[in-house]
Amino acid sequence: MAKDKTYRCLNPVGFQESVDTFPLATRLDTIDGKEIYLSICGEPDITLALEKRLKADYPNVNWKVKRTYITDPIPLTEEEMKTADAVVQGVAW
Amino acid sequence: MVRQEALSSGVPNIRFIPGSRTLPGPTDVETLIPKILEGLTRPLTAKEKEGGKWKPSHQERVLFEGTLEEAQAFYQQTQDIGLPVNAPISVFTDGFPIIVPTEERVAEMLKGTTHRPDELIVHQAEHILRWGVRMQKGDPVAFQQGVQSSRKKATVEKVAINAVMAGCKPEHLPVILAISESGCNTGTTNFPSQAVCLGGPIVKEIKLNTGCGHLGPGSPVNGPIGRAFQMMAINLSGAIPGVNRMGCHGSPLNNGGMCFGENADGLPQGWLSMNEESGFGKDESVAMVMDNIGGGIVGSQFSPGGYRAFQKSGHGGMARRFDVKGKPGPHNWLEYIVPAMWAAREGPYTFVVVPEMAQHLRDYGFKTKDEVYDWLYKQSFITIKEYRGRSWPDYAGTNGWTGIEKTSGKPWRELPDDYRIPLVDDPFDCMIIVAGGQEEASVQLGGGRGPAYGIDAWR
Repeated sequence: MAKDKTYRCLNPVGFQESVDTFPLATRLDTIDGKEIYLSICGEPDITLALEKRLKADYPNVNWKVKRTYITDPIPLTEEEMKTADAVVQGVAW
Repeated sequence: MVRQEALSSGVPNIRFIPGSRTLPGPTDVETLIPKILEGLTRPLTAKEKEGGKWKPSHQERVLFEGTLEEAQAFYQQTQDIGLPVNAPISVFTDGFPIIVPTEERVAEMLKGTTHRPDELIVHQAEHILRWGVRMQKGDPVAFQQGVQSSRKKATVEKVAINAVMAGCKPEHLPVILAISESGCNTGTTNFPSQAVCLGGPIVKEIKLNTGCGHLGPGSPVNGPIGRAFQMMAINLSGAIPGVNRMGCHGSPLNNGGMCFGENADGLPQGWLSMNEESGFGKDESVAMVMDNIGGGIVGSQFSPGGYRAFQKSGHGGMARRFDVKGKPGPHNWLEYIVPAMWAAREGPYTFVVVPEMAQHLRDYGFKTKDEVYDWLYKQSFITIKEYRGRSWPDYAGTNGWTGIEKTSGKPWRELPDDYRIPLVDDPFDCMIIVAGGQEEASVQLGGGRGPAYGIDAWR
């Protein structure tokens, strides 16, 4: 290959496909009286303390907890999503 | 990493709050709660109300046009990555110089397969990936699927481009294509290491080194094929240290990559090859992608001379340890290695064993590899009390001690301290690969077998 010759050099990078995106869920005007899920995984040092404080400090909220200790949080079921007002997803590893 | 996963999940503008690595949980929670409540109640911005189709920016097939010298500089470009890296990281390479992927070189590489260049990389058979994700034959391969999902796709040509860059030859391409079926995950957390193990006729066909020094430098086959995995991880999966490749130390096994293979001629009678163990025929070629060698690599702990004395005449320290002084072998040398093997880390191991030592195990009485796996499994038992003193069981395997223990079928929390459980989930999780030179040594890789991909489908 001659030193000054030019070459077309190809792109090694993978390609992403289009993604359907969605607006974030509407925010709450207040958390009182609402059903809020804590969907949490890993790092119980934080998540246990978080659950305890939220329940103690905000007793007017219907806190529901879906907890696992492995990497993936447990998703809400269709039934749960019908009544859930909000989800706080906590991921720690 | 969060933003990448959020985009892949369709919510690119998700609100998130990082927790602290160092503050005690109760203290951290003091700062987290106000932010959580604010995140739940502050009205959405205009951007957060957006939805619709996110389209990636157009990607050109030709990335650069210029002289070879100019191209070399272009492909070697770096980007500055801030904390937790704080250093320049190569954009298109693994940091080492590459072979510039000119159109001519890629066309030459593509002669190694009958698959079309524009063909999408899809699964050639059903596979169950990490996290239990089940892929059917024909499903597109999503690179880096699972943790840190960019979920990029690739064509045969893209794989060939990376193979050129890694220094592979056209006859290696079916191997690289088989490897690409894995999605080239790089894992995360501590010491996430990957390796590729080849089995079947391909080993001799491409002259893979399965003899002396096979894990080290020198082979123009082992090296480039191992490197191709890492090139694909960087370019197809988009793995960037400190951004979505979070192993805090990285791994030297990934530096240049690791490819080794089984010496089928060295298998003792009755011992299946890795490809047969993986459900393929003896004459089928296979690439096993080991993407979770988290336990690292350990060389054998005895001297070759001490080993020879042990086996030949029952002489020396090993013979004293096992009370076989003066008794010639065959002796079970695994007994020397096993006690310390699980001292710090649970899980299966892969043993890379030279033919002579494999034969000693066979002569000792292990008529099959399975019998060795059963023996190893039985050696891995410890008490619940000891198990509770380890780190990973708080998360993996027990699900925070809320799950069911497999051997008893009972909840973990109900088991007494002296109940014994295995540190290997299943005997077959361990693996033996017969390879290496003529000196008496074995190597242990902390992590067992991975999924195997047929190479012949990619010829």
